[in-house]
Amino acid sequence: MSDKKSLFKNVRVIIFIIALLASIIAIQPGYSPGEGTTSNLNYGLDLEGGSWLQIKLQGALAQVDADSGMIVSEMVEPVIGAPITITENNLEGNGLSGTEKSITFTTNVPVSSSELELLEIGRVSVDRLNQETTQVTIFTSKESLIRLYLASSLDSEVITFDEGEGLVYEIRTAVSEEELEALMAEVGGSVLKNEDGTSSYKEGVSVQTRDLTRDILNDKLNALGLKDIPVRTVGEDYILIDFAGIDLATAKDIAEKPGKFEIRINTTGTETRHVLYGDSIVSVGIPGFHDNQWHTPFTLNEEGALALQKVALETGAVDNPNAHYLTMYLDENVVYSAPLSYSAASQLKNAPIYSWQASTGGDEEAKAEAQALQIHLRAGALPVNVVLVGSGHVDAALGEQFKTEALIAGLLSLLAVAGVVFRRYRRPEILIPMVGTSISEVIMILGVAAAIGWQMDLAAIAGIIAAIGTGIDHLVIITDEVLYEGKLPPTKVFVSRIGKAFGIIFGAAATTIIAMSPLVVMGFGALKGFAITTIIGVFIGVVIARPVYGVVIKEMLEAGEASAARKGEISADE
Amino acid sequence: MATGFTDFLDSFVKDHDNRQLLAIPLAVFALSLAILLVSFASSGSPVPLGMEFQGGTQISVETTDSPATLEELYSDYPIMDARKAGSRVIMQFGVMDNEEQRQLEDDVMGRYSNVEIKQIGPVYGKDLQVQALRALAISFIGMAIVVFLIFRSVVPSFAVVLSALSDITIAAAFMRIAGIELSLGTVAALLMLIGYSVDSDILLTNRVLKRRGTVEEKVSRAMQTGITMTTTTLAALVVMYAVSTFPYLIIPSLTQITLLSQISIVLIIGLAADLMNTWLLNTGILRWYVLKPEFRGRFNR
Repeated sequence: MSDKKSLFKNVRVIIFIIALLASIIAIQPGYSPGEGTTSNLNYGLDLEGGSWLQIKLQGALAQVDADSGMIVSEMVEPVIGAPITITENNLEGNGLSGTEKSITFTTNVPVSSSELELLEIGRVSVDRLNQETTQVTIFTSKESLIRLYLASSLDSEVITFDEGEGLVYEIRTAVSEEELEALMAEVGGSVLKNEDGTSSYKEGVSVQTRDLTRDILNDKLNALGLKDIPVRTVGEDYILIDFAGIDLATAKDIAEKPGKFEIRINTTGTETRHVLYGDSIVSVGIPGFHDNQWHTPFTLNEEGALALQKVALETGAVDNPNAHYLTMYLDENVVYSAPLSYSAASQLKNAPIYSWQASTGGDEEAKAEAQALQIHLRAGALPVNVVLVGSGHVDAALGEQFKTEALIAGLLSLLAVAGVVFRRYRRPEILIPMVGTSISEVIMILGVAAAIGWQMDLAAIAGIIAAIGTGIDHLVIITDEVLYEGKLPPTKVFVSRIGKAFGIIFGAAATTIIAMSPLVVMGFGALKGFAITTIIGVFIGVVIARPVYGVVIKEMLEAGEASAARKGEISADE
Repeated sequence: MATGFTDFLDSFVKDHDNRQLLAIPLAVFALSLAILLVSFASSGSPVPLGMEFQGGTQISVETTDSPATLEELYSDYPIMDARKAGSRVIMQFGVMDNEEQRQLEDDVMGRYSNVEIKQIGPVYGKDLQVQALRALAISFIGMAIVVFLIFRSVVPSFAVVLSALSDITIAAAFMRIAGIELSLGTVAALLMLIGYSVDSDILLTNRVLKRRGTVEEKVSRAMQTGITMTTTTLAALVVMYAVSTFPYLIIPSLTQITLLSQISIVLIIGLAADLMNTWLLNTGILRWYVLKPEFRGRFNR
């Protein structure tokens, strides 16, 4: 009786019992007559049925340099149809931060400032010097010139960012290093080298862009009323979308179908009139803060800008903006609604406006709203080019079958292990704690999985098997260490033996964890799940379950030997 | 069986000198390396690459049709192989464009039930291949570092690392001979092997270096424990292999679970190799090391 008491006072045993109970609560196993067994476990697609799509984001990151004069020639000459001569250029070099940078050129044909402003290079001022010569000054920066040059030659969005290691250009379409090098060479530039001499070119997109793409996809899928479609980023430039319970064909339809974005203007009362669809939006900028307001910038194409001007004029929105709100819809849901600003309204009376900004207010909430709007405006158009690189499909019935079989395989494997252990030791007082420890380790791994919402798929099951396999190894080490002379040693020796056993076990567990960790950091999908489950399992085993086995086996063996002694027959085992 | 085998192995180790002990595992290791090298030279890859690393589509359906029928049926598509597994036929296709892929999927789903489709683009496959190789290399190096940190002594650590390397090499050579493709599952198995392999090696080295007693006795004791460890794991794996590979022999409607089947067969071979490498290769090196005259029997009393 006193033995039992001391067992339940042991801190390790108490922790173990709490962990086990917590796991069972987390898993919430249950049985309801209609549905069979239920639990809180999240099954992966291969056990649940459904499909998945994996897409790769195409793009390139590079630091580049070029001759700004040559870029201006390259971009301006086709527009005005005549050669130009650069006369003044203060874009190169870093000084003069106070003054506005500009580049000046002369040409012998007449130039209108509006045709050059369409290039969106910057503010343009045109001076007719004399009959033959026109002098043009463009207020811009080298950064915007390079960005626009790349954007127009590759027909792709290009953005810049600087994370302290120099200005990086993100090109949001597939471009090889050679192609980029050739493009830059045309304007007297090159792809820069890093300090260590390697090229700064890198395939892929920035983490921010990848996450933006993920958010847009999420937004789009959720706008369709398909909740719970997890869109995850995998590796550096892959995105994985799981469609639980949806077949592959439907999944592809959903992913390929752009969200329906629409702008309408109020006519009278609640009546509205169609202005344009999402395909008229050419680009969406990053939300910014100015004039005490958060703004999301976006640009319309010719058709969209003209349509907006036409409808605004016809509905009277240009004269009385407050009576004719402009409202944005994503899949029929209102995502933004506001009147035209007075300046925009008066400008529209004369000309269409291409570049717009939607303001949301000045507070934190407005900032979030501006960011959400950025995503909504994008819906249907992802910021980068994507390609489908992988997909899969498992019928629900097949998944159910896999689940049953994995369970059978697990149970039979455990029986086989128990058989070998019993053959070796021939003592139930060793077999029971050993198998019990293993089962409790499985329960705790499942408990952790349920608690953190980890998906149980076939790879995770393989991970559990790996963890249990090493677990049994470790329990055998403890047992043999304790029974080094074939019987239970005195307590003092026992404690030092357990210490030695754990010396071996910690070493073995450390190697397993170290061996699996690279997969956690860089592994994709299946292998990552496998590695994480194995590590969780080995960790739980070493920290929680195996110390308790050490305590329990001692109690069990003592009880066993005491009863054997009473009967007067000490079994000689070895 | 386990005890009989342990006794046999124990007396084998006692009756042979270190050179003889090393001869067998080193020969198998060399043979395996040769197989991998020849394969690498002739096909560009030491083990056959599976669909996941090459790109392509794998479709498995429940059907009573023969593989030949299906091959005929889908001959318009780049079908490479169709084989039967129980009540299912697994078809392997080469790389297709999105349009073709879509057509094929629609056709298969309309015609058959219990469909499983897996498609990997060649670019992603290439990426996966690089990642998998890198993972294997880093895992192995990480394991080696931990082993050196544990024993802080070059020869015993080297013996552990060498026997782990030999386990993996032998398992990989077996994959080449048996035609088991390198897939995400088999990569996982090779990684698991790193973990399992060092368990018994660490046990052996720890017992011999850090325990009192004669070397002979310590090795026998370690062998008792180590072989129990490996046989429990082997027993579990054999059962798992049987259930995941041939479930339809018991219940015809059940399906192969390829992932578990591949993992378990590679591990079974790897662990069998580990029995040899731990108790012949590692033991041989370790026994030679601790009985070196300069230690004056420090590890043998």
